[in-house]
Amino acid sequence: MKVLVAIKRVVDYNVRVQVKPDGSGVAIDGVKMSVNPFCEIAVEEAMRLKEAGKATEVVVVTIGVEKAQDQLRSALAMGADRAIHVTTDAQMQPLGVARVLQKLVDEEQPGLVLMGKQAIDDDCSQTGQMLAAILGWPQATFAGKLEIDGDKATVAREVDAGLETLNVDLPAVVTTDLRLNEPRYIKIPDIMKAKKKPLDKRPLDELGVDLGPQLTTTKVAPPAQRQPGKKVADVAELVSELKERGLV
Amino acid sequence: MAVNKTKKTRRDPMGSALSLLTKASTSSLVQRLNLQKPLEKVVTSGSKATFRAMSVANKRVRPLVNLASPQRQKSATGAGLFDLTPTDDQQMFRDTAERFAAEQIRPAAEAADEACATPVELLQQAHELGFNLIGMPEELGGMSDEWNPVTALLVAETLAHGDMGIALAMLSPAGVINALTAYGTAEQQGQYLPYLAGEQFVPATVAIAEPQPLFNPNKLATQAVRNAEGYLLNGQKSLVPLAETAELMLVAAEVAGLGPRLFILEPGFAGLSIEAEPAMGLRAAALGRLTLENVQLPVEAMLGGEPAGKTDEFDYQAILSRLRLGWSALALGSCQAALDYVIPYVKERKAFGEPVAHKQAVAFMVANIGIELDGMRLLVWRAASRAGQGLSYQREAYLAALQCGEKGMEIGTNAVQLLGGHGFIKEHPVERWYRHLRGVALMPGGFLV
Repeated sequence: MKVLVAIKRVVDYNVRVQVKPDGSGVAIDGVKMSVNPFCEIAVEEAMRLKEAGKATEVVVVTIGVEKAQDQLRSALAMGADRAIHVTTDAQMQPLGVARVLQKLVDEEQPGLVLMGKQAIDDDCSQTGQMLAAILGWPQATFAGKLEIDGDKATVAREVDAGLETLNVDLPAVVTTDLRLNEPRYIKIPDIMKAKKKPLDKRPLDELGVDLGPQLTTTKVAPPAQRQPGKKVADVAELVSELKERGLV
Repeated sequence: MAVNKTKKTRRDPMGSALSLLTKASTSSLVQRLNLQKPLEKVVTSGSKATFRAMSVANKRVRPLVNLASPQRQKSATGAGLFDLTPTDDQQMFRDTAERFAAEQIRPAAEAADEACATPVELLQQAHELGFNLIGMPEELGGMSDEWNPVTALLVAETLAHGDMGIALAMLSPAGVINALTAYGTAEQQGQYLPYLAGEQFVPATVAIAEPQPLFNPNKLATQAVRNAEGYLLNGQKSLVPLAETAELMLVAAEVAGLGPRLFILEPGFAGLSIEAEPAMGLRAAALGRLTLENVQLPVEAMLGGEPAGKTDEFDYQAILSRLRLGWSALALGSCQAALDYVIPYVKERKAFGEPVAHKQAVAFMVANIGIELDGMRLLVWRAASRAGQGLSYQREAYLAALQCGEKGMEIGTNAVQLLGGHGFIKEHPVERWYRHLRGVALMPGGFLV
């Protein structure tokens, strides 16, 4: 079974992002970029499936700027067999990404598509669901545990009420949650070996995909500064304080 | 008050001139001396010049170019004179080291310091991640055929951010690998490098320091005397990392006529005794003392072989420079750890009703650590960068090591100071880093780039 893993290049989770002065977005020039942590978990899970003999090939894909190949190289260093880089400078949105992935799924015919449940930059959490819908495939999102048995997958997912277990027929789209696994350390020799693995560049324009209706960002603003709180000594002071501010 | 006064008396040049003229014309002195005419002339030409200046000021500068948007200069990219951006490879190596240092090394540091040993599993894990293979040629299972000391330094610094003692234990074999790569004969490389690059972590170490006052690495007390069978070694080596477990050692000894040389030594030779030598810091590196009493080594044990004729590839000064760079990088990591620890501490710790960071004595100290550390890092990177480009770097490496030794100690002391009483107790790691940083100036051997 071939596994297709979609990953996203995002601002590293350690970076404190700054909003650009003109409010058009956040500043990413010179900022450290990494593989989205949930996507890293998806790559790790694919590697574990391969090591367990459940997957035969792991193909990793990303859509984005030229430098996004750094993230593909990380995934290749983790052990993925080959990479597809759909190159574009355009700002991608979930529906557009899902349509590009649909095109690649048609070409690659994987038995399983793995992806992060959401990206830590826009927190959309839509792409996996949209992809499953347009492919007409089953989906299991927020996977905390994944087991493959023949052409069936069992997915335990974390929902508000506890754990829910789904059985889905393959091929399917599975999106990964935080507790699914802990990604491995990338070995330095593997970083060098990853350079020799195939990385296929596909300009977005040449794929002939209609990205669909686009959302427009009107303004990006930092959250309002919080006013410092006040500690009160006892209930009486609390009540009088609340009364003073007209809250009770 | 003062402002009002000036306002009242301030006049434009014309006004001042006219008022002067009025005063002058009425002055009896001027009339008496018949100065009225020339004075009037001076004043009118003066007012003409003022009118000219005014008319220029009133003129509008017409736009010469119509811009659709304001033009700004962008930040320059690419390798300029002062480009300190790591390469993609270096960044990825560092990412791995960073995560490993934070998740594995830091939590193990206290126990390793206590036990005077780093757990074998941790050393094995580090070995599997390939930190020691950066200086190994590709053909022998290494990373690259290009010597890039900057890469090795970035990784060393990052590991030492976790803990300097453990980082020294992990990287000690890299010292042997790097020396063999730089100076080993084909036979020596073929014999030892694949072994060191194998699947198992092989404890290996470089022994240079000696237990004598004012130790000078250029004047070794350990002697290697040529005899019929090879070389006979006598002397003592102190503060040798991984001494008791090392399966391979490079021992520096003075050879008459050749100067200091390194000899490849395996444990088990008659006359070699090894004992633990726990020190104040770097305890996780399991420091030990070697005593060599009439240790007979074959000729082939000399690193690089005996020089044939005038060609002598071995360069002891370069070995020392590389050792200095290695130690400097370790110091950078520990100092950075200290800085990263004290900043949040002084912002949270309250005294006299406010965070201690609000006190200048504290804030200045933290700022000075930051300044010194940046300076140290630039010295180290410059020396390493010159080394990698094949330029001379002995002077630069010496300056870097001197600064890292001195300022490292100072930063360690100040970091403890900034924590107040908390700096003194073992609950916080800063006292351990202070103890490590005392060792940098001693450069006890072990890791070289």
